[in-house]
Amino acid sequence: MSQLFTLSFFTAFLAAAVRLAVPLIYAGLGETIAEKAGVINIGMEGVMLDGAFFSFAGAWYSGSLAVGLLCGIAGGVLMSVLHGVICIVLAQDQTVSGLAINMFALGLTSFLFKLMSQGQSYQQVETFETYAIPGLSKIPLIGAAFFEKDILCYLLYILLILFTIFYKRTDLGLSHIAVGEAPHAAESAGIPVHLFQWTALLVNGVLGGIGGAYLVLVQLGVFTENMISGRGYIALAAVILGRHMPLGMFAAALLFGLANALQIRLQTIGVSVSPYLLAILPYAMTLLAMLGAAGRSSRPESLGKPYVRGSR
Amino acid sequence: MEEILRMEHITKRFGEFYANRDINLSVLKGEVHTLLGENGAGKSTLMNILFGLYQPSGGQIFLHGKPVAIDSPATAVKLGIGMVHQHFMLVEAMTVFENIILGDRNTKGIFIDRNARRKEILELSERYNLDVELDKPITEIAVGAQQRVEILKALYRGAELLVLDEPTAALTDIEVEGLFRIMKKLVGEGKSIIFISHKMREVMQISDRITILRAGETVRTVERGETTGEELAGLMIGRELAPSHYAKVTKPGAAVVSLHDVDYQKKSKHNGLNGVTLEVGRGEILGIAGVDGNGQSQLAQLVTGVIAPEGGSVDMKGSRVATFSPNGFILENVSHIPEDRNKMGLIGNMSVMENILLKETGDPRFSDAGGWHLKRKAMRTYAEQMQQKYDIRCTSVAQESRNLSGGNQQKVILARELENHPDLLVAVHPTRGLDIGATRFVHDTMISARDAGCGVLLISADFDEILEMSDRIIVIFEGKIMGEYPGSNPPIDQISLAMAGK
Repeated sequence: MSQLFTLSFFTAFLAAAVRLAVPLIYAGLGETIAEKAGVINIGMEGVMLDGAFFSFAGAWYSGSLAVGLLCGIAGGVLMSVLHGVICIVLAQDQTVSGLAINMFALGLTSFLFKLMSQGQSYQQVETFETYAIPGLSKIPLIGAAFFEKDILCYLLYILLILFTIFYKRTDLGLSHIAVGEAPHAAESAGIPVHLFQWTALLVNGVLGGIGGAYLVLVQLGVFTENMISGRGYIALAAVILGRHMPLGMFAAALLFGLANALQIRLQTIGVSVSPYLLAILPYAMTLLAMLGAAGRSSRPESLGKPYVRGSR
Repeated sequence: MEEILRMEHITKRFGEFYANRDINLSVLKGEVHTLLGENGAGKSTLMNILFGLYQPSGGQIFLHGKPVAIDSPATAVKLGIGMVHQHFMLVEAMTVFENIILGDRNTKGIFIDRNARRKEILELSERYNLDVELDKPITEIAVGAQQRVEILKALYRGAELLVLDEPTAALTDIEVEGLFRIMKKLVGEGKSIIFISHKMREVMQISDRITILRAGETVRTVERGETTGEELAGLMIGRELAPSHYAKVTKPGAAVVSLHDVDYQKKSKHNGLNGVTLEVGRGEILGIAGVDGNGQSQLAQLVTGVIAPEGGSVDMKGSRVATFSPNGFILENVSHIPEDRNKMGLIGNMSVMENILLKETGDPRFSDAGGWHLKRKAMRTYAEQMQQKYDIRCTSVAQESRNLSGGNQQKVILARELENHPDLLVAVHPTRGLDIGATRFVHDTMISARDAGCGVLLISADFDEILEMSDRIIVIFEGKIMGEYPGSNPPIDQISLAMAGK
């Protein structure tokens, strides 16, 4: 057990946690933006799955990572546009729409993947390279975990900071918050509510799509059926636990990454607990976190309620 | 004087129904122009068209003589139209400052320049005497202050024409005076105001000109100087309304309910009762006067069994009440017109019929086997009788009650609560938000219940209503009874002082 307590163990452990957390953070940021504007997208799982599949297909046929990434984004946006048509244009129930999108995405990607793979079980694409940032990556413990990453991960750091400033310091950010809190008040202040909700949902699709593509184009190089396996739902939990703010969500997603990394470590060093039980750890933590967050709601007041102009 | 707004031949149809039909309205620079009309006369529809929330089915809007198309509130704001809705449009999770600057695009760069904007807002608030605390959250300021925030918000966006939709409905008399001073200041500086109200006293006090709407059409536009309150009321409802004087009862019957030294959270100034002793006799109306939030809600809940007293005792028809439950009081034949008809009085998604029969579905007239099998036909027949008797205007008794106007909703409640001849009726703000016609109907119905021997406890923040209806008047202040006064020739000055706690 002594191997548990070396610096290199912790460094590797933390690196694994960040690696597992990045897709969650992408999806979580997308979800934060949609929910701030009053649209809840339970379909994040489907958005990510679509992003994962189309990025794989794009990269496979073109041989280019950039094309793969764009295809992944398009796949994610496709799902969030579908959600927008149902929830914004038709003003239908957002939860039901989100669940439908998850099921639809699962069926769609599995079907297309079968067509594409033609019986072959294993096809791999090239993945994004990592660039160590000079200086920062040499910091003990956290350096390797946070600053020896790929370009998408660095982009994520920048987005987190930009969106934090957006909500705290800008006019547009304030207007986005107002749309989620009180759409009628926002409309009467001259804010085009539906336009803002559409913008937020498009960003939601872009980021969710990248979240799914990240698994394929950075981490695994392959697509498998239902490969998101609950990450979309964990991202939703991270948004709530992070009190609907980008940096809070970031911390919450890291926590889930740590839990996941921990269960993998425990399995590999052969702790005498059933691996199935260990695999539950991140999900159990999600539940516990939700219990802990109960009663301190930061939920936008009009989240999930369709806005119809002129109604009360 | 220069004409700032002209609306010509405005028509708005919802299906077969004309909410507005060929309406004309002209507003001059620097005037307070009142839109007067009963609920459902089309005032709100017309204003929603002006503010871009609805598109008219026909007609044309001119601003400063030029035709304009207003396709959204954003466009209306750009054109210099500001609207203060009856239900305030404020984001409660934000501060006063954030609400005022919200969505305003006249800014350099993307970041909020807090200092410059504060200065701008403070200048405006000083110029028009609009006193607000910029850094307080909306939830922590009073209703009157929230209204000032709304006005400031509109001015900050450069509004030249302000629409105030029933701005006095939620205000106390003192706050109304303050609002009128602000309105005079605004028109004095060249702004124009469209004032929506159906309170005749206020309309005669503040308006320069008055346009009367009835059933979606323009009746006439008059100068204030050339009309009287009575004439306006007649134009508004389409017939002469004789001044009402109900005969007062001086010798009530035996007590239906009596409270002895009742306490409920007596330390609370706004939501408690402190040593309340009172009695309602058969065949009389006891009016409880007072400014809202001095224990009236708790008194109503207590005599309907929702809450139990923490001290003292309550007698119902001569016997001591041991357990307090709403059902127990209903079985004692107590009826209730609750203060919030949407939250407490009706189930909005249920039909008029179901709401009328809510308390009676177990009755053998309407069901077999103790409520396990409903007799739909009998229910419908009964509900249709009630629809006739109480003049409930709905498409059919199967219509959802949420879609009725406030007055018709209140009539559904009356039909349910009064038809089985209660011993005690507890009526809380029974005419709040109702127009003159509906108010008269509710009052007449309550008087005939009284004359049939029902004891009525009338709780109202509308002083005129208390004076008109009550056989005895009790004033409540911070949970305590300040005094009791006769209903005929009441000493109005004394009562006003008592309501202020003096």
